[in-house]
Amino acid sequence: MNFSVLLVTILEYMFVAGWAGTVVVLALTFVEDVGTLLDRKDENSH
Amino acid sequence: MSSTSNSPTGSNRVRIVVATSVMLTFISYWRAAAVILNDLGSSAFYACGIAEQAIGKSAPWFVLAVMLFAFAVRAVYVESCSMFVRGGVYRVVKEALGGTLAKISVSALMFDYILTGPVSAVSAGQYIAGLINDTIAIADAHGWVPAAVHHLFHGTPQVGVNTTAVLFAVAVTLYYWWENTKGIEESSEKALWVMQITTVMVVLLLGWSFFTLLKVGGHLPPFPTLANIHYSQESLGFWKHSSLPHTFAILGLIIGFGHSVLAMSGEESLAQVYRELAHPKLKNLKRTAIVIGIYSFLFTGLVSLLAVMLIPDDVRTKVYSDNLIAGLAMHMIGPEVLRLAFRAFVVVVGFLILSGAVNTAIVGSNGVLNRVSEDGVLADWFRRPHKRYGTTYRIVNLIVGLQLFTIIVSWGNIYTLGEAYAFGVVWSFVFKAISMLVLRYRYKGERLWKVPPNLHLFGIEIPIGLASVGMVLLSTAIVNLFTKSIATVSGLIFSAVFFAIFTFSEKVNRRKHAHAAAQMKEQFQLQLAESVERETVGIRPGNVLVPVRDYNTLNHLRWTLERTDTHEQDVVVMTARISQYGAAAYGLSSEQIFSDYEQTLFTRAVSVAESVGKKISLLVVPARDSWSAIAQTAHNLESSGVVTGLSSKMTTAEQAFALGSAWESIPEPKRQFVLQIVQPDDVVDTFRIGPHTPTMKNEDVVLLHRLWLNITREPGLENVHHHDILTEALTRFAHDYGARDREDIVKELRRHGVDGGPLPVRRIADQIHTVQPGPARSDRDDERRDDGPSSPKVGDSE
Repeated sequence: MNFSVLLVTILEYMFVAGWAGTVVVLALTFVEDVGTLLDRKDENSH
Repeated sequence: MSSTSNSPTGSNRVRIVVATSVMLTFISYWRAAAVILNDLGSSAFYACGIAEQAIGKSAPWFVLAVMLFAFAVRAVYVESCSMFVRGGVYRVVKEALGGTLAKISVSALMFDYILTGPVSAVSAGQYIAGLINDTIAIADAHGWVPAAVHHLFHGTPQVGVNTTAVLFAVAVTLYYWWENTKGIEESSEKALWVMQITTVMVVLLLGWSFFTLLKVGGHLPPFPTLANIHYSQESLGFWKHSSLPHTFAILGLIIGFGHSVLAMSGEESLAQVYRELAHPKLKNLKRTAIVIGIYSFLFTGLVSLLAVMLIPDDVRTKVYSDNLIAGLAMHMIGPEVLRLAFRAFVVVVGFLILSGAVNTAIVGSNGVLNRVSEDGVLADWFRRPHKRYGTTYRIVNLIVGLQLFTIIVSWGNIYTLGEAYAFGVVWSFVFKAISMLVLRYRYKGERLWKVPPNLHLFGIEIPIGLASVGMVLLSTAIVNLFTKSIATVSGLIFSAVFFAIFTFSEKVNRRKHAHAAAQMKEQFQLQLAESVERETVGIRPGNVLVPVRDYNTLNHLRWTLERTDTHEQDVVVMTARISQYGAAAYGLSSEQIFSDYEQTLFTRAVSVAESVGKKISLLVVPARDSWSAIAQTAHNLESSGVVTGLSSKMTTAEQAFALGSAWESIPEPKRQFVLQIVQPDDVVDTFRIGPHTPTMKNEDVVLLHRLWLNITREPGLENVHHHDILTEALTRFAHDYGARDREDIVKELRRHGVDGGPLPVRRIADQIHTVQPGPARSDRDDERRDDGPSSPKVGDSE
């Protein structure tokens, strides 16, 4: 396995693992975002 | 030393109160979202076109993935802002990784900021050129182009798209160069207005596109598999001859993602507006993040998808790749005229938002370089203010020079510009994400929110969410280094040059500042204060505030000191240190707020005070705009008067109006004060700021007095005062204005306002005198008991 292939393999693993974690981030923040949007108190929209 | 010294140590050094908090006008999350979307939303006009040129028809999926991923990047920004109020890239990287990497990251950020201008301006030019060409082509198809013109151009007259785009981009950039040299007034109001118009266009565009899709049908773009990704020659860069991109499926996804990442440029603005957000700050930051997330996902993401679904492939790639939204407008169902009119609307909106982004790029880079130079990593020479306008014109010149160079070198090639732009975008995010990861372990201060999820194993926190976002960004950035050869080479050269300038300047400045600090220690004593309060400054109520900016024009300070007994009334000399949106990202230390320039300015102010032999107090106030700073400081210090010099840009009336407007935005209770504007020839214009007794003209006083003379002759009204008549008159006026005569009153006032002529008071006064002569009487006794205007003698003499 030459260096380029090794580098690409590492980058691919990083990218996939990163996206897997990002999906969890998105799911969890989405739940929180819905709560933030529904909480209208303190809202100042002028 | 005659001037000052409230020094607690009793030394003879001049004490300067340095307020460390910027005086801000806080904005709602809607306005904050509008400010960010002016930058972030502009990428919808070119991002998908650039991505499709690189990787083929599956590009919209990558743009949608980028817009989805942008939600996670926003979470990183929310965490950084929950730690530092000014949580931008420079501050975060400096805290986590030190000064050297902070300089590298800010160099990448500068590359991003500087390229924002050319990309946006060229894109706007492409939209305009496309509209001109298509309009002429349609007119020609209808036989409306005269044969002679047709003959002259050897066919349908067309403008050169790239040449027009370059000329337009140069013109827009020069326009904003001049505006920024003069000192542009940035307002969230304008950003909100642009976004309101953009929203109208987005709603129409999406609604009309979905309707067209329902009527004529359409196919989703091919899913992003290795077979569907069609690399262009330029899109593989250094891997042009390698088999790797064609072999590794996930590598293909990373390459596609890397070519689409510029769609989320502008996220950094989130950290920059945080400082200005109204209470509750963190919650409003989250709301802002949600608003910009949804908006950009719908606008940039969906519009990209719809464009590929509705515009036929051959037309889209050949004609509309650089103005995709215009192509979408032309391929919806409906009459041609209507579609052309909507396309013109798209071009107008594109012009507004994209040329706004040119300004944002200049303002943003100016802000970043200003703060970096205040941190000692850019020579003070760059920050020297313009003689006439007081702006940091050398930084503006540098930025605009680089932007013009980029526009001319690229010659309207939006693809090349966009590819280079992505370098700055992705690397500034990488630095940010890695620094945030490091700070999870190194930073022990308050952190109000964390990117989820976080695991705890054996007492150690593992930030899975943060690490995940970092891994996606880092892998994309590294792949981009190989696939974007132009971006890599130009980005590295640019960043290296900036890094070298920063490092060299820092070394020079360190020596210079050590000398300056020693000098300052001898002369000035800095006292830091979180906010400006009268007690902190150590002065009495009723003082005179003298704002100063240019050390060559301190005539108004001399004028004030010559006319003020400083034993009875304190004189406070203040200078406002203006910070723009970009400034909010960086912490302000006393050395930053009180720099070489302020030292020179105050040294001159002290010499003026010494030459007059009077005492002054000195104050530096960081602020978003100078008028707000003056109004708020005068309010906080309970000043009775403000004395300024004549502005080079405004008339005295305009200066008074600007200060009055700033005063209006101060919350109640507030006090009024007098503004005196001293002109170079010592002519002084005086204005009252806040509600006050108006200056009455002689005719008004005469009329009032005659009315009083007549009314007091009525039985039972002998004890009526002048002010009773005024009260009755104003009550009647208010009643009439609120009821039937409103229009007449407005018309009359407007007429006299436009004509500039006086209201016909004298004529009315004469009539009253004629119709009600009445018996002669002595008014002298009445005058003594009357508390009305002091001019009845005028009436008596008549």
